[in-house]
Amino acid sequence: MILSVSGLSATRSGRTILHPTSLDIEQCESIGLVGVSGSGKSTFGHMLIDDLRSKGLKVAHVPQSPEEALDPLRSMRFHWHEAERALGLDTGSTDKKTLFTALKIEDGDLRKRPWGWSRGMQQRFVIAMALISSPDLIVLDEPTSALDPVTAAATMDLLEQHREDLNTAMILITHDLGLAARRVSKLMVMHDGRIVEQASTEDILERPKTDVAKYLVAHRSWAVVPC
Amino acid sequence: MLKVDHVWVRRGAGFALRNISLSLFPGKTLAVVGESGAGKSTLIATILDLVKPWKGEITWAGASVQTCSPGLVMQEPRAAFNPVLSLRQSVLEPIVARNEDMPHERIKRLSDSLELSLEIFDRYPGEISIGQAQRVAILRALIAAPPLVLLDEPLSALDAVIQKHTAKLISDLQQEEGFAAMIVTHDLGYAMAYADEIAVIKSGGIEEVSTPQTFAKESKSGYSRLLMEAAMALGALEPSA
Amino acid sequence: MIKSLTGLVLRAVVVLFGTALATFTLLWNAPGDPAQAIAMARFDALLTEDVINQVREETGLNTNFWSAFMAWVGPLLTLDFGRSSVTGREVWPDLLTAIRYMIPLALGGLVIGLAISLSLAIIATNRPGGLLDRFAVAVASLGTAIPAYWLGLLLILLFAVHLAWLPAMGARTPSHVILPALTLGLGVAASLTRIIRSGILEARGQQFLPAIRRRGVSKKEISRDHIAPHAAIPVVTVFGLELAFLLEGVVMVEVIFGRPGLGTFLVAAIEARDFPQVQAVVVLTALIFVTVNLIIDVIYRVIDPRIGESNA
Repeated sequence: MILSVSGLSATRSGRTILHPTSLDIEQCESIGLVGVSGSGKSTFGHMLIDDLRSKGLKVAHVPQSPEEALDPLRSMRFHWHEAERALGLDTGSTDKKTLFTALKIEDGDLRKRPWGWSRGMQQRFVIAMALISSPDLIVLDEPTSALDPVTAAATMDLLEQHREDLNTAMILITHDLGLAARRVSKLMVMHDGRIVEQASTEDILERPKTDVAKYLVAHRSWAVVPC
Repeated sequence: MLKVDHVWVRRGAGFALRNISLSLFPGKTLAVVGESGAGKSTLIATILDLVKPWKGEITWAGASVQTCSPGLVMQEPRAAFNPVLSLRQSVLEPIVARNEDMPHERIKRLSDSLELSLEIFDRYPGEISIGQAQRVAILRALIAAPPLVLLDEPLSALDAVIQKHTAKLISDLQQEEGFAAMIVTHDLGYAMAYADEIAVIKSGGIEEVSTPQTFAKESKSGYSRLLMEAAMALGALEPSA
Repeated sequence: MIKSLTGLVLRAVVVLFGTALATFTLLWNAPGDPAQAIAMARFDALLTEDVINQVREETGLNTNFWSAFMAWVGPLLTLDFGRSSVTGREVWPDLLTAIRYMIPLALGGLVIGLAISLSLAIIATNRPGGLLDRFAVAVASLGTAIPAYWLGLLLILLFAVHLAWLPAMGARTPSHVILPALTLGLGVAASLTRIIRSGILEARGQQFLPAIRRRGVSKKEISRDHIAPHAAIPVVTVFGLELAFLLEGVVMVEVIFGRPGLGTFLVAAIEARDFPQVQAVVVLTALIFVTVNLIIDVIYRVIDPRIGESNA
């Protein structure tokens, strides 16, 4: 099954922030949407989610930080049940245990409010919520920027394992090409509201064609270390 | 030089910092690396005298650190400036008022080194990009030519490529100005690329202090190894093929 | 959390004690000779020195400050407000009657106030900045400027005199409470409307809302589960403060509409220098205040346990 969007565009205050853009996503594919702030990647991500949803597909979204995903006045349990209801499921019907164990949050007290959990656990909870209905696609917006590296790396690993089990496609939106390159099989480089280059990760890393891509590839990491 | 001598800092019933000893010489960069909550920011607060150590002392050239008026750059550039004042009012005027013979050449030179045009000072903090804002914050920290500069996650709010570029600007300035820099960061990649020494902090205590080369080759503790692997998993460090 | 609740209760007790002490001190030092005032109120005739001194002894006004104070505070703890120095009757039953007339008025005013302000605020925030919004804000601002007595008289003029729909003076029938409650309610609504409105607008700006919306949660659920609780916090605060307005408004409204109640009770007691009665009203009012604010503080902490904690 291929998820497709075509001709998505957006303007803000008369300015085009996203030129008509199309994308095909294969099942269980992982794609990195890379670009500097303002390149249109988040806009494209949001529009893509809305478009695919309107076509009846199950798409989940994980925002950048837990503060952008959870209401501090509501318990974790409340958020979970709310998410279930929103997906048309009966509250309490999902297999919490499998998801929680996969993302290593099975020890979390669901009665607590978000701030009672560590940020890493909050973020993994948000990811777990996103995976409730075994979505066709999960879109992650800068998933590592709000977490410290050890937590971030562990979270991404856990997500990767579980994603493959569920056959869920993934789009990773980030300004960090180095991060995306380690996590996805296909890269799309955005600049000024357009996709300027797209290819497999190896191809982009070894043979970037556009200046934008070359620039991002050259500066994708801080240093090379003997392993 | 900065000397942190067997410093313990309390937090509640336990300690935020345990027996921390570090030294930092002029012109050198010390990166303090660790997870969230490990105590990195507490260390900066203690150096600045905002937090009193329970035991131990911190000195610069034998005296209190405040005597050298260290420069400070924090994580959030937007939070560093008063939004209702122009950058000229919040950055330049206080300096010029305090220091009659602050040569305008210095301001021009720092601006050039940080790739800022002078007209940016007529703008307001909300009108400039985050990258520019952070560079102005760096300029402000350096303007009085302090011998010591403390940076707490100075690049975290910036885009990946801009991070690398700004790091280079800071490093170049350090060559010119000769200040000692203590950089707190959770980005091991940044530390490996620019630090003369890396200090790994875990749960308030120092796990290891070594040069980047040593760190890469033979990280002594399992924890440092863990940080390395995480940095590689996130693309901050490239394993040599 | 238990710790902060205990702290709240202790604080409440201190406030009550302080109020009792302050009232007693003020009355004690009020100009004029209280014994004389009481005697005059009692006997309504020219008095001799002996009579006044006798009254002074009876009412305990000849002892020193602290014994008189303790003699009063002691029985208070068992809800014994003592006896009126004028009529000699027990204070509590008369006070209770006054309260009985006041409660329907206060509650009515509150309910009307809430109903009007909630409706206006919700209408206003439907389209922020739109015509209805600005109209609602204007009406609310006007409401704060209009004094209760003027509004009350206006309402009497309109509904009781011209239209003859509602009764004006007294408290004979239940419908006698309508105009006074309306006067009170309109005053409360004026300030409450703006608070609720800005509470709602601010709650709408919470940064997690777009993500929740994107999760597929309906707008109605979001309003009910994420906007309302957050907006409730400033509203609950103002409520506590509104209580002050309400209680003082009650006195005013009772006078305008000729209703018996706490207001008239208090005014009469002050004029007659009836210490026990005045003190009873003040202590009661303080008790109401402190209790309501305590409840509000507890409500806060239930909605958002971070409030009041040192690591908030």
